[in-house]
Amino acid sequence: MNIPSTIFSNLLAGDPREGRTLWLPPPDSNLAASSDQMFWWINVICYFFFIGIVIALVILVVKYRMKKDRPFRTDGPLHHLPLEMTWALVPLFIVIFIFYFGFRDYLNFMTPPKNSYEIAVTAQKWGWLFKYPNGATSDDLYVPTGRPVKLSMRSSDVLHCCYIPDFRVKKDLVPGRYSYLWFQTDDVTPAGWGHNLFCAEYCGTGHSNMNRKVYALSQPDFDAWLVAQSQWLDKIPEEELYFRAGPKLYARCQQCHSLDGTKGIGPSWKGLWARVSGGEGGDGKFVDGTGYQSQIGAGKQYQTPEDYIRASILNPGEHVVAGYANAMPSFKGQLNDKGIDAVIGFMKHMDEFDTKGKYLKEIPATPKVSMK
Amino acid sequence: MTTINIAQPLDTAARPDNYITHTRGFMSWAFTLDHKRIGVMYLVSVLVSFFVGGVFALLVRTELLTPGQTIPGVTADVYNHFFTLHGAIMVFLVIIPSIPAALGNFIMPIMLGAKDVAFPRLNLFSYYLWIFGALFTVSSLLLGGFDTGWTFYTPYSTTTPAGGVIPALTGVFILGFSSIFTGLNFIVTVHKLRPPGMTWFRMPLFLWAIYATAIIQVLATPVLGITLLLLMVERAFNIGIFDPSMGGDPVLYQHFFWFYSHPAVYIMILPAMGIISELISVHAHRHIFGYKFIALSSIAIAIFSFLVWGHHMFISGQSPLLNTLFSLISFSVAIPSAVKVFNWMSTLYKGNIVLNTPMLYALAFLVLFTIGGLTGIHLATLNTDVHLHDTYFVVAHFHYVMMGSALIGMIGGLHHWWPKITGRMYNENLGRIGCIIVFIGFNVTFFTQFFLGSQGMPRRYYDYQPEYQIYHVISTIGSYIMASGFLLTAYYLLASLFGGRLAPANPWGGRSLEWQCASPPPFDNFATQPRVGDCYDFSAIRWDEKEQGYVVDRALDSTLNPNLAAKNSH
Repeated sequence: MNIPSTIFSNLLAGDPREGRTLWLPPPDSNLAASSDQMFWWINVICYFFFIGIVIALVILVVKYRMKKDRPFRTDGPLHHLPLEMTWALVPLFIVIFIFYFGFRDYLNFMTPPKNSYEIAVTAQKWGWLFKYPNGATSDDLYVPTGRPVKLSMRSSDVLHCCYIPDFRVKKDLVPGRYSYLWFQTDDVTPAGWGHNLFCAEYCGTGHSNMNRKVYALSQPDFDAWLVAQSQWLDKIPEEELYFRAGPKLYARCQQCHSLDGTKGIGPSWKGLWARVSGGEGGDGKFVDGTGYQSQIGAGKQYQTPEDYIRASILNPGEHVVAGYANAMPSFKGQLNDKGIDAVIGFMKHMDEFDTKGKYLKEIPATPKVSMK
Repeated sequence: MTTINIAQPLDTAARPDNYITHTRGFMSWAFTLDHKRIGVMYLVSVLVSFFVGGVFALLVRTELLTPGQTIPGVTADVYNHFFTLHGAIMVFLVIIPSIPAALGNFIMPIMLGAKDVAFPRLNLFSYYLWIFGALFTVSSLLLGGFDTGWTFYTPYSTTTPAGGVIPALTGVFILGFSSIFTGLNFIVTVHKLRPPGMTWFRMPLFLWAIYATAIIQVLATPVLGITLLLLMVERAFNIGIFDPSMGGDPVLYQHFFWFYSHPAVYIMILPAMGIISELISVHAHRHIFGYKFIALSSIAIAIFSFLVWGHHMFISGQSPLLNTLFSLISFSVAIPSAVKVFNWMSTLYKGNIVLNTPMLYALAFLVLFTIGGLTGIHLATLNTDVHLHDTYFVVAHFHYVMMGSALIGMIGGLHHWWPKITGRMYNENLGRIGCIIVFIGFNVTFFTQFFLGSQGMPRRYYDYQPEYQIYHVISTIGSYIMASGFLLTAYYLLASLFGGRLAPANPWGGRSLEWQCASPPPFDNFATQPRVGDCYDFSAIRWDEKEQGYVVDRALDSTLNPNLAAKNSH
């Protein structure tokens, strides 16, 4: 079965791992091995029956084609109970066996080991947030190798589904419930590459872009990453926040908010600061018909434009901009004050970034922070 | 009872008056109670919907040629509307009504030797419900469309800003009633209008399939109605039933939805299986093998269909115990399916096979249904389904069953009964070529998707990782091949209406009653109540040069010639 794999591994370019077959990507978790074995056995059964049926059909059709000069032959049997019972019962026994083995391994998949390393997962339209026990958060999933990892997952809006094909695991995230997914991978992810993590339950506009990477690190590397990740924001000086942290945090916003003026699911950030601070670009409106300036300013609901942006991040449904749906999830608990400062700074200095969020000036060499 | 002149074939002489020419004018069709005209109106409506659904399918496939945007102007949102409409139209407007309501309506009463279905007015009413339902569904396009997928999963469907969700739900709700009324009508027709001599186990197998289907339609469709009503109430009045932010449960919706929609899968496939039983037997001119097993397996499938809905929800958070039971019961569907396939193959044994278009479609069905059925094992198995659920593997699997089997069966049936319905023969060679093109195109399109899915590509994706592109390109090319096959088919079928050879009463050598009345059938089907024998006994069928068709040699037929009855050992 590995003969065509060379062809197909070339088609799936960029994957540095060995072992991709015609049917399946390389198995990279403890659950993948048994799942693949099952898949192969079912395939063998399918090949056997399919090829058998097709050969039989060809022989029957060729052999019993009607000859013009012959009256209908009527000597074929009308029924044959033992034969019919055979092809009713043989498939029955086969499928009971398949059921049993599938069931056995499924129980394993459903039962996370007690000593699992637990990562909290929040999904919302259209992104993932992974939160580690020490408080660090990330957009891509980082896991340690050599120990079971349990994802404790919830959704803050609609159904989503966490799917990591290389690990052969998948589980729905249901709003209002917690669901669990576990796996153990023993292979460190090759440098410069990551496993795909997909959303597999349809969730609207950004469904197909709701994918991230999974990186498996050795335990020491993972520990080091974890420490750096939990502190990266804290180590940046206030005045450098907007260009060091801003673009990285924006990555979570870019699905809905463009920087080049294109209307997305939410308003573009181009000229946003001018709009909310009452400068050039005119006065925007909310869905209730009031203008920005009737809400923002001394003595009004939001004392400063910064207050308004902060409130929009933490409680986005309160004032929705005219022309847009109330689609934004709250980022409460996902962005701390420093993160919000970074985003606001990023908005204020929009002219220093290109339309992809890349900082146009040179980033000063200090301080040393571990990048995400 | 009228005596039968054994020397003369019954009702086979083409009469100048038939159901098409019996009355004229638009009103005579719009208010007709004739099951044949209603069947033809359904057929035209379904084929138009098939065309529309097919256009959306091609748009979806074309958009997927490259990652990101391919067709200018088709954004993720537009794409989401495309695949939703493709799914909703194909399921609710095409596959569900295609065989029972269109072909079943036309053929079933004639097969029974009856003049009409039991409730002709209800029949017309159900057609108009279908029209209204279809209009509502399509009108949703003007009101902002709907992007929920044909499954309307909550809470997405109750919160999406797309404005067409309510009209679409209303449309599907109305279509459900159309389906219920048709089912009810057919159940009563089979029970009450069978002719003397036609016991349950002498019914053509198509009728068994239609009967089993009708039972599912009547029992399952109300659940869909209730579910959609709850969904509308939630969306319109914010009453929390399925949305957790209002205290509801989204998984409850999935249970309700699949409690209908899994049986609906069998509403689609069972009638196609019935057609295949007819096609294989008639075009192999050979008594069907294992009649009782085929008939009872239809009933078994109808019963199992109600017990397996949870296999759509293995990773939804449903309890492991439920998953286990649903997996086990799902496997049981393999048994009646295997019985049918092997019995059809045995029917070919010692047959007199003619490889004309309907037979080619029947053989295509056997191959495609085998692939569709076997790949169902991967999905019914709990641990492999975890990997394959909601990927293109599932898309490929259900297209093999829904399209490769249900629709191919329907198109085979259309070719089989085309001479009966229209009174014209189509170009046989073009028919064969069309079938082969569709078969090749279908496999190129959908077999590729098995690989795509098992390599990890999720379904309902507008944009995708570039490494999957090659599979998408192959699949899209396949869809173009398939489309060209269907266009060819549409061409020669339409051409036959104008220039086709006049069809004899019995062009294939069939034995069931519809081949004993003229093509097209007269307004009242049969002048006299026909006598029924074994509808799969081909021993008395002879080719007749003058007719350019087959005739029943009554002197050789045991049911009509009492002298032979004693000798009949079967």
